[in-house]
Parts: sequence; C-alpha cells; structure tokens
Amino acid sequence: MLWKKMWRELRENKAAYLACITVIAIGLMLFVSMSVVFEGLSDAKNNFYGDYRFADGFADVSGLSQTQVERLASVEGVGSLEGRKVEDVRVFAPEREENVYLRLVSIRPEQTVRLNDVMLLAGAMPAAGTRNILVDPAFLEANGLQTGDIIPVIIAGKQVEFTVTGVGLSPEFVYILRNPMDIYPDPATFGVAYSPLDVMQTLFGDDSLNDIIFTLAAGDTYEDVEGRLKPRLESFGLESIYAREDQFSEAMLDQELNSVQSMVTSVPLLFLIVAATILYILLKRMVEQQRGQIGILKALGYSSREILFHYISYALIIGALGGILGSLLGFWLSYPLMTMYKTFFNLPGLTGCFSFSYLVLGVLFSTGFGVLAGYFGSKEVLKLQPSEAMRPPAPPPAKQTLLEGLRLYWDNLTVQGKMATRNAFRNLGRSFFTLIGVMFAFSLIATTGYFLSITDVLIMDQFTKVQTHDVKVVFAAPTDSEAARLELSHLPGVNRFEAYLEVPATISQSWYEKDTMILGLEADSEMYSLLTRNGVKVPLPPEGMVLSQNLAERLQAKIGSRLEIESPYAEDSPVYSEVVDIVPQYLGSNAYMDIDALGRLLGQGRISTAALLSVEEGAFPALKDRYREAQGVFSVEEKGSMLNKFTELMESYSFTYWILALFGMFTGFAVIYNSGIVSLSERRRELASLRVMGMTPPEVLQVLSFEQWFISLFGILAGVPMTMLFLQGMASAMDNDLFTFPVMFELQPFILGTVGTVASIWLTLRVIFRKIRRLSMVEALKERD
Amino acid sequence: MNVILEGKKVSKWYQMGEIRVDALKGVNFELYQGEFVVVLGPSGSGKSTLLNIIGGMDQVSAGELFYQGKPLQGAEESAMTLYRRNAVGFIFQFYNLMPNLTAYENVQLATEIATDPLSAADILAEVGLKDRAGHFPTQLSGGEQQRVAVARAVAKNPELLLCDEPTGALDLKTGIQILKLLRDFNLRYKKTVMVITHNAGIADMADRVFNLKDGELASVRVIDNPKAPEEVSW
Repeated sequence: MLWKKMWRELRENKAAYLACITVIAIGLMLFVSMSVVFEGLSDAKNNFYGDYRFADGFADVSGLSQTQVERLASVEGVGSLEGRKVEDVRVFAPEREENVYLRLVSIRPEQTVRLNDVMLLAGAMPAAGTRNILVDPAFLEANGLQTGDIIPVIIAGKQVEFTVTGVGLSPEFVYILRNPMDIYPDPATFGVAYSPLDVMQTLFGDDSLNDIIFTLAAGDTYEDVEGRLKPRLESFGLESIYAREDQFSEAMLDQELNSVQSMVTSVPLLFLIVAATILYILLKRMVEQQRGQIGILKALGYSSREILFHYISYALIIGALGGILGSLLGFWLSYPLMTMYKTFFNLPGLTGCFSFSYLVLGVLFSTGFGVLAGYFGSKEVLKLQPSEAMRPPAPPPAKQTLLEGLRLYWDNLTVQGKMATRNAFRNLGRSFFTLIGVMFAFSLIATTGYFLSITDVLIMDQFTKVQTHDVKVVFAAPTDSEAARLELSHLPGVNRFEAYLEVPATISQSWYEKDTMILGLEADSEMYSLLTRNGVKVPLPPEGMVLSQNLAERLQAKIGSRLEIESPYAEDSPVYSEVVDIVPQYLGSNAYMDIDALGRLLGQGRISTAALLSVEEGAFPALKDRYREAQGVFSVEEKGSMLNKFTELMESYSFTYWILALFGMFTGFAVIYNSGIVSLSERRRELASLRVMGMTPPEVLQVLSFEQWFISLFGILAGVPMTMLFLQGMASAMDNDLFTFPVMFELQPFILGTVGTVASIWLTLRVIFRKIRRLSMVEALKERD
Repeated sequence: MNVILEGKKVSKWYQMGEIRVDALKGVNFELYQGEFVVVLGPSGSGKSTLLNIIGGMDQVSAGELFYQGKPLQGAEESAMTLYRRNAVGFIFQFYNLMPNLTAYENVQLATEIATDPLSAADILAEVGLKDRAGHFPTQLSGGEQQRVAVARAVAKNPELLLCDEPTGALDLKTGIQILKLLRDFNLRYKKTVMVITHNAGIADMADRVFNLKDGELASVRVIDNPKAPEEVSW
C-alpha cells in the first residue's frame, strides 16, 4: 500500500522529481561516458604500446653508423636498441596554398621484431629497395589519398615519387604534430610515412642513422641507462635524449588521460551533489508535510524503520532511475566522444562501448547518493511519536530578524517584503539550501562560460598581441642572422625583418629539469612580445633569461635563480644563465632571451633559425613561391592561416563547452525550481489566505519572489568565489606544457552566470505564478496544517 | 433596506468521478445593507459552500449571484480578486494569520491593498490590542489572534464581513468578546455581517437567521429584538 502512496505522490510532483532525475542522469552520463573514454583510451594505449614494442628511451643524434649502433646495444641496462633514419620532407604539391610535409621514418622490412613497430592497417609492408611507403591513416584521409597512390616529395632539392603500399600506425605517433609549437594535429599538412631504410639512405645520400630508440633491461631505470648512453652518444652529436614519458606523443596522450581522469572524478560528483541537495530538500519537506500521515501510520502499527524506508525509497527510485538513464546515455555519448578522440589520437581500437560493470557502478553510485540524501532528508520520521505527529508541529518561533535593525531597509519594505525577509531567516535551513543551490547553479554556468571566453582570449592574445608577425620563414639549419636579413629584408612587400632563434634545450635548476625551447628575440622586437597578465609589454633584458610562469614553476626557479642549460646548439654544454624575469604564458611554456645574448651564450655568434616578417597584404604568395624549392628554407608560414585553423578547432571545442554550459544551466534551473516549488507548497495556506483577502496573484507572488531574489542575491555573491575555486581546480587539472589556463577575473562569465541564474529564477517564478493562480482558496483553507 | 447581495437559484455541485455531490440546491436569498445574519445548519448542510460562494472564493455551478446589482457568476478572475479585496472581509475559525508578521503588520497587510481602508492602528486599538501590536501570532492567545483576524477583516472597510465559525475555537467568554466586536462593526459602520455557525446560541443576536439543510434554505427567521452579544450563551 505504501508503494501505491509513493507512486501517486511521485506522479503528482512529477516535475520536481523529473528535474532531480535529469540532474542525476547528467552527472551519471558524464561519469559513465568519461569513464568509458578513459578506460578505452588507456586500454588502447597499453595494448598498442605493448604489442608494438614502444621504446622506453629516445635520442636524436646527428649521425652514427650501424656498427656503432650495435655497439651501443650492448651497453649495460639496454634491453634492445635500434638506429633509424628520421627526416622531414616536403610533399610536392604546387596546387596547395600551404606547405605539406611528411616525416619519413625508416623501417627494416627484413627485421621481424622491431621497436616502435608499425601496425599495418591495410595494404602491405614496403619491400626493401622499393620506393614504397606506409602512411598514417589521418594524413591519407585528410588528403584524399589511398593505397596505390603516388606521393611526390622533395629530397635534397629533387622530386622523388613514393607509392603508398599500405596504411600504418606506430605507438610513437599517436598524437602527430610537426613540432611542439603547433598544438593541434593538422593531418592535411603533416603526416608520418614509413619507408625502407636502404631506400632512405640512397635518397638522402647518407648511410648514417640519426635516431636511436631503446628499451630497458628488466631492473634498470631510465636514468641509469641515460647516464651510461649519454657520454657515448655525445661524440655522435647528441641533440636530445629523453624517456618515454617525455616523448611528445606519449606526453600528450598521458596529459589527456590525466585530464579525463580528473574530470571523471570531479564533474559528475558536482552534479550528484546538486541532485542530492534537491532530493534532500524535497524529502525533508515531504516528511514535514506528511507529519499527520506519519502519525497515522505509526498509530496503525507501522514501525519507524518501515516508514523511514518508505521515504528513503523515493530517493532510491529516483537515484536508480537517474542512474540507469544516465548510464545508458553515457554509453551512447561515449561513441561520439571516442570519434572526437580519434581525430586527435591515432590509436587502434578506439570505440565507445557498453560496459555492464560501469552500468552497475553508475547505478550504485547514484542510488548511494540518493539513499544518503534520502536518509538525512527523512530521518525526522524516527523521532516522531504518533500522538505528537498527528498534531501540527509547534510553529517555529517568529521573531524580529537582524535586518529589522536596518531601519532604512526595513521601513521601505512592503508587507510582502517583510514576510519574505522573515521567512528567509525563519527557515534558515531551507534558505541555506536554496542559497547553496543558487551558488552551484551560478558557478556551473559561470565556470563553463569562463572556458568559452578564455579559450578565445588565449588564442587571440597569442596571435594578435604576442606573435604579431605576418609570415615566419623557418630555415633548414641555423643561419647567420645578417645573411638572412640581407636576403629577406629587401624583398618586395617586406616591411620589417626580425631574426628569431629557437633553441632546443634541457634547462635545470638544482634537482629540477625540463626540456623546452629557448626563444631568442630581437631586443626591440615588435613582432614577438612578452606580456604581463594585464597585457603590458615586458622589455627583454640584454642579458639573462625570462621564463614563462609554468616553466619557472616546474623548475622551481625564481628571479635570480641560476639555470644550467644543455643544448645541442651550444659549443660547450652546459652553459649557465640567470632568471631575470618571469612572465605568464598560456600557450606553450618557453624561456626567452635576447637573440644576441643567446647566441653568445651558446658560443654561436649571431645565428637564427627563422625570420619573422611583417609584409604588405598580398605579398605572401610570392614569398612562398620564391622559397618553395629553396634548400636553406624549411618552410614559409603565414600566420593568418594558422589563426584560421585554430579558430576552427576552437569552434569544435566550444560546442562541448556550450553543452556543458547548457547542463549547468539546466541544473541551476532544477535547483531553483525545486526550492521554489517547496516554498510554494509549504506556504499554500498562507498564500491562499492572501488570495482570500483580495490580493491579486502578482501581489501574492511577491512574497515568494522577494524571498527568492533576496536569497539568490547572496547565492550569486557566494557563487563568485565558488567559481574561482572551480576554475582553480579545473585549471590545475588541465595544466600542461601546452596550455596554461589562466584563472583571471573575467567579467563575461560572471555576467553569463548571472543572466543564466536570473533566467532560471524568472522561469521558476513563472511556473509558481501559474500555480498561485490555480491555487484553490477553498481547499487550502480547509486544511488544518 | 438596500439589498447588497442577491442569490437566485444558487446551486453548487462537485463532480467526484461519476458521482455528483450537490452542496447547494437552488438557494434563493438576499442580504441587506447593515444587517447581521447568522447561518445555521449541521455539518454538510452547505454552510461553508454558501460562504465560499458569497465570499468570491468559489463559483456557482448554476444560478445567479448579484453584488450591488452586478453579476458575480462567471466573472473574470481579476474581477473576483477586486471583489474580495474591496467588498468582503473574511474571518476564519483558525484565524489564518501570517505567522511571521506581527499583529500590526497583519492588519497592515489588508490596509495596504484596500481602496478605502480604516486606520490599522485605530482598528487594532478598537479590538483592544494596542499594546500587543508588535507581537507575532505565536506570542498571542487564541482570542487575541482572532481579534487580530477581526481587525484585519474590518480594516479593509468592506461592505460584507463573512465569518466562518469565528468562535469555534474559543471559550465562551472570549467568543462573546469577538461577537461583540462583530456587532460593533455592524452597527457603527452600517455594514453587513454574516456569521456561519452550527452554534444555535449565537442566532439570538442576529437580525435574521438562515437555516440550511441538505443544501437547501429550509427557513429564514426574522428576529425583531435581537439580544446583545453579552446576553447570548451556549
């Protein structure tokens, strides 16, 4: 019979319970989909790395022979070691606006067990001695190519044609970037191809190997092996040696996994807490209202536990329904999410899935929360004696509130305002929950809004304030700055030339070490500016180094710290420099120096690796054509096209943020709606009396609306620090080498939060208004509490 | 005497699934300006229904109802609100005060919306609660709460004061104090008072007594020399 009572009551209050179920479902949907994504990604990664023998260590050298490689393989602690040839080449594509590159990685077809092996997705392995290649699937797809097609590339100034014989993936190129400054993969302009070693040696006219990969023998650490290999490799022109965790593709994948994992635990929890709050309020109210019924049930002989269970079952049912619905939606959502990940990560076997264990876990999770909220909401039942329960509760003492001391405020209130103010204070518990609800709602909307606006800020700042050049000409090798200036600054359409030096380096400070790029800029650079948080330009000191904030944090460096720098570009490694300044940097994390000071530090004089140009409109195509075939020029990049690509990518991201913002708004609405409905039902009788006295529905609404706005004002105010807290949490979860999410006080998200919250309240008040109009005066007054 | 309210064949029924419950079955009546009417009848006789309809809280199912010649049946919700606001004052058995407003503020609640209200402070003094004006309902006795309710209803200066068992929750002495207040208002301001009760003793102080039985007006008794409130007893 109690079940019947429950079903009928659930039906009567369906809007409130549906809202609660939806909030739970949103939380669970995020939990389940993210969990599936996390598990899918890490399983796919582990399997791929294991099956295709992903190396534990990597080293770039200028060149060594096969015999020398074999000698290195016998170094203590090395499991196996292979030498490869890795070269970037330009694809011959005169019809294309932008330059297209392929990274050629050598393979030895005759070898059966290979490190960083290539998984053949289609076609056949290229045979030794043939100009055949395997190409990564993203590049093929983005360029409309398939097995059997021919890709012409430029090697040593000559055009060479490769035939695509198959499609291949390797664990080292799961996330494919041409260089770490690129941030997003762009498969249309860069891909990876695998070619027989002997063919590459012939084409490049060089038998040497320039890339070392190795695994560790059981029981040895990477640090030990690096210590032994490094001195041996230095004689072969060691440029860098790094562990698997620093390998670019792996680092990106790992970062993504970490941020998914932190989302799995934080975001769904937030929604569940909100849902639990709603449930708590609903049940507490119901128990208060059904005092009489509880008394009767007890008088009839139902035990307190049975009645408590009855009320908890509401929460149980709602939790379970929300859990099942959310989990199923989560599995459904995991498919498009995985498809999205597929565009970034070349991992075999990435697909959404249904997992029974997550369904069970999800439902347990949501019902657990429900039961907890239900228990605390209805535990009053236990205390009630039947005789006491059948009497109306002793009215809470009405008394003057603190605000009445503020005569100016109090005397200007309408009577409705006075009622509302006292109500808010008299029901402190409920007011507090409403406040929490509004605070959550506001923070959810503002937080998601922040990410919407900040990504724009990040990108736009980088491209309109930091990097203000029009064209970047990247040299194939470090070049004398003056020669470059002579060559480039007098070309037609070029307004300004600035030398630019990118130096790969390992910077260390006491025990902390970080691989990064040191950027050398001209002292009075106008095309690359370091900015403070407020966008004020920071002058480049004539000596010493400027670090980006997060690089400084990783190195635990302060102004005045002495840094040790190892770089393949340095005449004598290591060299030393001092930290002169620390600046915020949101995209990437670099060190900066005056280009001449950097050249001196490295013992290289005035060299540069690229030129930054400011050009007249329309001058770019001519520049590009001029250097398309030039041996000394690696690439000619136009900033505008990069900016467009970023904007496009950001748009695909912003969709996700909008969805989250919508969830935030809905949740906010659900909280506000439920607390409003609870207020209404608690005061039906009071409000009906007002109607009987001849107040119009809008006048009666004022009592509730004043209270709602009054509490919401404080909720919104409390939501501001709460939002900052959320942002701090999310920023530290998402912080990595590529992005720093600055937590700044931006007005826009708070405006969005306020608008969203106000809209939710307004909508709720509309619903309440309708209910007030329908309020039956006769019925409400007949009830004696 | 002026007819202030007139009911013609007023019927009210409630549809409960397939069963129709008739609460009022074609009642004809008139209320005159400045008279004191007591409506008697056992539970279920239709007293409260009649009060709700006269008070503008409920609509008739059939028949007609005129307030000062203007029809109330089928009137817009906004018209009904205005009617309740300006023409009618209500007093309930259980007071229905706003728990978080003081006595004075409860009266003010009414004077703020009425077009021609009396002074809230004066009325509160008249019901003898001048010194308790700042108290909340929970700090007042039942009789005091009902006096606040009377003050609240009277303060709007309505033509029609409708009282639903106003003494039902009070002891004799306190009940008589309330009846006295009602009679004072009735005589001093020449306003119509209608008291609904199953307490036959109160009928002795009325100008006219309506007897309701099974939803029909069984009899209307005119009393030429009504008793003073102090003289009635139950």
